[in-house]
Formats: sequence, C-alpha cells, structure tokens
Amino acid sequence: MALALKEQLSSPGGILKFLVKYNTVFIFLLLVIFSALISDVFFTSANITNLLKQVSGIGIISIGMLIVILTGGIDLSVGSLVALLAVTFAILVNLVVLPLAILLTIIIGFSLGSISGYLVAYQKMAPFVATLALMTIARGLGFIYSKGSPVTFKTAGGVFMSDFANNSTLGVPNIAIVFFLIVIAAMVMLRYNVFGRLIIAIGSNEEASRLSGIKVNKYKFLVYAISGALAATAAIIVASRTNLGSPNMGMSWELDAIAAVVIGGASLNGGRGTAINTLMGVLILGLISNILNLLNVPSYPQQVVKGAIIIFAVLLQRFESK
Amino acid sequence: MKNSENDYRLEMTGISKSFGVVSVLKDVNLKVKPGEIHALLGENGAGKSTLIKILSGVHHKDTGTVRLNGQEINPKNTHEGQVLGISVVYQELSLVNDLSVAENVYLHKLGASKFWMNWDKITRDAQELLDSLGFTIDASAKVRDLSIVQKQVVEIAKALSEDTKVLVLDEPTTVFDPTDTKKLFDNLFRLKDKGISIIYISHHLDEIIKIADSVTVLRDGVDTGTMPIAETDTDGIIRLMIGRDLKDLFPARNVEIGSDPVFQVKNLTAKDTIVHDVSFCVRPGEVLGIAGLGGSGRTETAKLIFGADKKKSGTLILDGKEIRTKSPVDAAAFQIGFVSEDRKEEGVFLPLSIRRNISVTSFKSISGKLGFINVDNEYKKVLGLIEKLNIKTPSSEVNVKNLSGGNQQKVALAKWLSIDSKVIFIDEPTRGVDVGAKIEIYNLINEVAKKGVGVVVISSDMPEIMGISDRILVMHQGTIYGELQKDQFTEENILRYSIGKKLKQQIQTI
Repeated sequence: MALALKEQLSSPGGILKFLVKYNTVFIFLLLVIFSALISDVFFTSANITNLLKQVSGIGIISIGMLIVILTGGIDLSVGSLVALLAVTFAILVNLVVLPLAILLTIIIGFSLGSISGYLVAYQKMAPFVATLALMTIARGLGFIYSKGSPVTFKTAGGVFMSDFANNSTLGVPNIAIVFFLIVIAAMVMLRYNVFGRLIIAIGSNEEASRLSGIKVNKYKFLVYAISGALAATAAIIVASRTNLGSPNMGMSWELDAIAAVVIGGASLNGGRGTAINTLMGVLILGLISNILNLLNVPSYPQQVVKGAIIIFAVLLQRFESK
Repeated sequence: MKNSENDYRLEMTGISKSFGVVSVLKDVNLKVKPGEIHALLGENGAGKSTLIKILSGVHHKDTGTVRLNGQEINPKNTHEGQVLGISVVYQELSLVNDLSVAENVYLHKLGASKFWMNWDKITRDAQELLDSLGFTIDASAKVRDLSIVQKQVVEIAKALSEDTKVLVLDEPTTVFDPTDTKKLFDNLFRLKDKGISIIYISHHLDEIIKIADSVTVLRDGVDTGTMPIAETDTDGIIRLMIGRDLKDLFPARNVEIGSDPVFQVKNLTAKDTIVHDVSFCVRPGEVLGIAGLGGSGRTETAKLIFGADKKKSGTLILDGKEIRTKSPVDAAAFQIGFVSEDRKEEGVFLPLSIRRNISVTSFKSISGKLGFINVDNEYKKVLGLIEKLNIKTPSSEVNVKNLSGGNQQKVALAKWLSIDSKVIFIDEPTRGVDVGAKIEIYNLINEVAKKGVGVVVISSDMPEIMGISDRILVMHQGTIYGELQKDQFTEENILRYSIGKKLKQQIQTI
C-alpha cells in the first residue's frame, strides 16, 4: 500500500493525481489549516467539541443517505423524519422507560423508512417522488402530534439522555462517539459485508444485478428502512441535546446530507461512494459553518460559500473520472 | 468535373482510430468508384462499423484522409455527412416510432428551413419514393404500426431522400425474406445505374458474390485487401476474414455427451413476449445452439427460463426434478446461469472491479455468519478464475470498464462458473469480441461443457453457431421451428427454418 503510494507520488503529475484522488481529504485539511490560521479560537477544545456536536445529527442521517444513494436512489424525507421522530421520542420518553422509548423510536423510524422503501422497490415509484411525499407527510405529522409547539422532556429518563448528549467521554462528545461508531459500522458493512457489496452492485447496474440473481427489491427496500432508523437515531440525539422534541427540527437537513455525500465523492447515479468520504463531507460542511461563525459572517453569505464549495468539490471529482 | 472511369467517388486512405488504448482501425484504405457496389466484410468487431461511422461523421478519425469526388472532407457530425451526400442505413433502426412514415423519411429536413411545413407535399413525396422502391407502405401511417421489414424499407427510403452520392447499407437483409431481398437488390442495381456508390456490409457471403463488384475485407482493424469479386469466391473471402481456414477457428469437439438430459423445457409459454410452446432438452456436456432471426424470441426464451420474464405456462426439469424459476434469484439458486447479449447494460458491472464482478453471485460460499465476507476465500476464488479463464489484467482490482470486450465477456462468464452452474445460457457469446478472444471463448465453452454442464448458446453468427454446437434449434416467431443435427448444419438450412420454411430435402420427400 505504502509502496503504491510512493510510486504514485513519484510518477509524472503524480502529486496532482494524488490530490484529485483524495480530494475530499485534501479539501478537509486545507480548511483545517485555513481555519487555524484565521482564528485563535478554532483549535480550542470548546470549539472542536462544539463542532463535533453540531455535525453528529446531520452526520448520522448522511450515512443513511449514502447507502440510499449507493443504490441509485435518494431520500428526501430524512429531515422531516428527524422532526417527527424527535417529537415522538419526547412524547415516548415522558410515557415509558428510557430503553423502551429509544427502541420504539428507532422501530418507528425503520417503519416510516419502510414506506418509502416499499413504494420505491415494490411499486416502482421514483425515489425522488416517494420520499418527497413522505417528507411532507412526516413534517405535517410532527406538527399535528406536537400541536405545533416543542415537547419538553419531563422524566428522569429525559434528564439522563440530556446528560448523555451534552457530556463527553475521554474528551470526545458522546453523541460524536455514536456518530463515529455508525460511520465505522457503515465502513465495515460496505467493505466486508454481503449487504454492502450488493447495494453497490445494484447502484452500479441494476439490471445486471437482477440477472445475477440478486434480490434487488429486497435490498432497495432495506436501504430506505435503514435510512429511517438512522433518522430516528439522529432525532434522539438532537432532541436530547436540547431537552425537547420540536416539529421545526431537521429543517432542510436532507439537503445538507445530500451535499455531504456528494462532497464525499459519491455518484448520484449510484454504485460509487464510501463512508469515510461521507464523514469527510460532513466535517467539511460543519467546518465551513464553524469558521464562518467564528468570523461572525451572517448566515446568508454562509449559504453562498457552502454552495461554492460543493461546486468546487464536484468539479475536482470530474477530473478524477477522466 | 466529370468522373472518368478510373476516378474514385470515395477514397478513404490511411484511416486509423483508437478508443482509449484500444486501437480499432489501423491504416485502413477503402476506395469506391461511382456506380459500384462495394462489399465491406469482416467479422463482428473487425472495425467495419467504426469505419462507416467515421465516413458519416459519428466518429472522428485519428489519422488519414477522406476524399469525396477528389475533395477532402471532414464531416463533424452526421448532418454534415448527409449534406455532403453520404447516407447510412444502420443495422439498429433509428426511426421515431411516434411519427408518420413521411415525417421519418424527411426528418432531417424538418425544422431545417421554413417555419411552415407543407405536410401534404412531404407525404406525397414520401409516398412516391416508397412506391418507386416497390414496397407497399402507406406514407401517412405511424412507424409504430409497421412491421420490421417495412421499417427497414423506410430506413432505406430515408437514406435516399437526400441527394445521395454514397449509400451505406449495414446488414440490410437480416430481416428480409428472399422475395424482399430480391426487391432490394433490384433497387440497388437501379441506384448503381444512376451512378450512386453503394457500400454494402453483410455476413451473407452468397449475397455478396451475387451483387457486389468488388470487396474489401477488414480483420482486427486492418484491411486485408481489396479485390474484384470476379477474382475470388466464398472460401477466399473467409480466409481473408479470419486469417485462416474456417475449421481452425473452432476447437474440435470430442466431448462425451451424456444420455439423460440435465435440463428439460416443456411447452414453455411467456406471459408478455411472443415465446410460446417451447420444448427442448440439453444433455450434460452438450453445446446446444439456438439460431433464428432477430425478434424470433431466442433471447426472450432464455430470459423466460431464467425467471427474468414472466411465464404463463410450461415445465422446467433440472436433473430429473421439476423446478420453478419465478425470478433470477430462483434460477441462480438452482445453478442456472445466464450471460446476457447486452454485456454492458446487463452482463457486467462496468465501474466495479473484476473481483467484485465475479463474487457477486457466489457470496453464499464465501461469506460466513451475518453475511461477513471471507476476503481470503474471495481472492482465492477470483484469482483462480482469472487464471483459468486467462482474463488479461494486471490485477483483480482493475475496473471492468477498462478491459477489452473479450475479457469483459470472460468476467461475465466467470460469474456463473464460480457457482458451478449446471446449465448456462450464453446469448451472443462473441459479439464485439476480436478473433483472438473469440477462439479463447470457444475453447472455454468447450471446457465448460466437458465438465458435464449443459451449455446453450444463442447466436446470430452463422459460422459460429455451426462451429461450436452439437445440435442447433432454430426459432421462428416465438417457437422452435426446427432442429438440425450436425450433418444438417448449413447456412441455408438455418435460414430456411428461420423464415419458417421446410428444408429442401424435406420438401422433396413430401
């Protein structure tokens, strides 16, 4: 591996090729260096902790988005699912014991994702359309169940979750640990598990997959269900951070998640993308907001910069495929 | 300037073209006189289509010159080619189904000039043109409602609607029966008399001998020479095409064929396609060929058996036991393999590595609990197959899109060998594959059969299907019309069955 790397770097134009190949890592490091130079506060543990806490929720749904996109689909419902499920969790945590509340929320998330999965895999509905419908349904249900206002945690279970979500272990925020564990699990699944291999195969050529005897529908169904379960996990985390579930949570998170996956070099046509690169995409987006916040840049220019970064990252990837 | 007898209408000299690292044409020359029918021959993948596409402006040559009436031309797209007077009738029909025949014939002129179209005039002109060809087709009918033969005629009419100087016909008679073919030839002779140069591509050597004035043969992207048709015969042309005598191309078949069929199909009928009442059997070690025209239901039969299309009725028997294949998942579980004719769309995963391509069918044997893959076993299996199939690649991690057509085909085949398939259906095993890889694939098919696998090969390539099969079934209009034993293998017999006619000797005995 190291030898191959050395060879690559010493070949003509090798450094450029290397940069293009690992462009997400490159952009990430560039941003870190830039941030450190421009702001004294950036490398303080308070800021880094804050940054990690901020990205964990979107990071978790980005992993769900990645596996959906790997099959060639898209899941627009995840942001709204976060809202509905955060409200659901807040209601449940006040009603039943904590482990049951967590379990039920994840099962409900899985079931809601299954609806998209069923429509896409078995009813052959376009993923964009099916998840768009679920997106508005979930957002609406969130408002209905919360009667339009946030549901606060009132029990000991709620206090426990709030402590967990706001504290760190060995200096790493607990919720970031949950996020990293999910990234690692996704890495392992995509590389060494039949499930991961098959969803990549389906995304790279669905017809060839079908004619290779792969249960295409089953796997397409499953990725949306898993994406729903991950949205539930993200919902539990963001609700716990603020001690409440609000139907306004997760607003346009689905777009940030898609952006993170795309910056991470995944192809929206499916078949290409890795968990580690999606992690990079999530961190890049988080870093941009973080540094712009530190520089007191208002949120509208921030959006412009984010958009520019997405274009830059994807243009770099165009190089790679040539 | 008027052309004298020795002037060429079209001169293509020193044409070379590569796609990426694959060199498709190497220093090819093609010279055609006015009023000449010039046959362009070569096997699939020899570079004929690429040469024609350079002429018409689809592809751009790397080196060489193209002259039309002595003037150098460089058409950048097909429209420029057409304006120059180069019309091509491609094998794959390029008509717009939802438009009328007349609109299709004049499609390239619609939108070109005026704001208002004179539809009556267009329909009238088109009708006149079609009538002059001697086929009865209504110019105001929708193309969707035409038969495949009629569509082909419209395609030819379209090419002639321009002031054509060079007309290229790519396998025009594939769908024609002998009467239609004769009509087409009469038309070609008429065009020839008008001074139009015709480049005629066909696999039917008998046709070539009948109508062509001269012939140019391509082999692996090199032209092996041009000669007047009077100076050669079919054997001579074949030698030029494959660089050896036909019998050397195909491996000797000395395989022990079992007596009990490994796989039987009884009265299979499809729900959504024309396939009906198909019955046949394959014995272990046998290579069974399925011939027929395009659209006769060969591919659909294989897909039906494989569970990719829906069945209406019929029975499948594997190793003496009745099986049901509702989907390819079932078929693969019963160790039935299917290599699609459309390698890139249905056969391989182009952006994935060879390893990931091959192991996609065999996870059952290389993964443990919870679906975790034993990567050591995976490598062992994949590397073993790469070596056995002689897939030319530096490593198992190379993406399949970077392999040649022949090696891609081997990967598609390896997928099914990795699960020890009992029956394998291979649809057009050597389409777009060069001669060298062809021989390897034939040897491979032979070897697979030797292990007692029943191999069913679907092919439109007549020499191929006769060269590798032990027995040939010929399909016509969705069912098996006839069966040929080895001593009955001739192009003529296959063709007669393909178009729904009895064999000659059968007619005589009746």
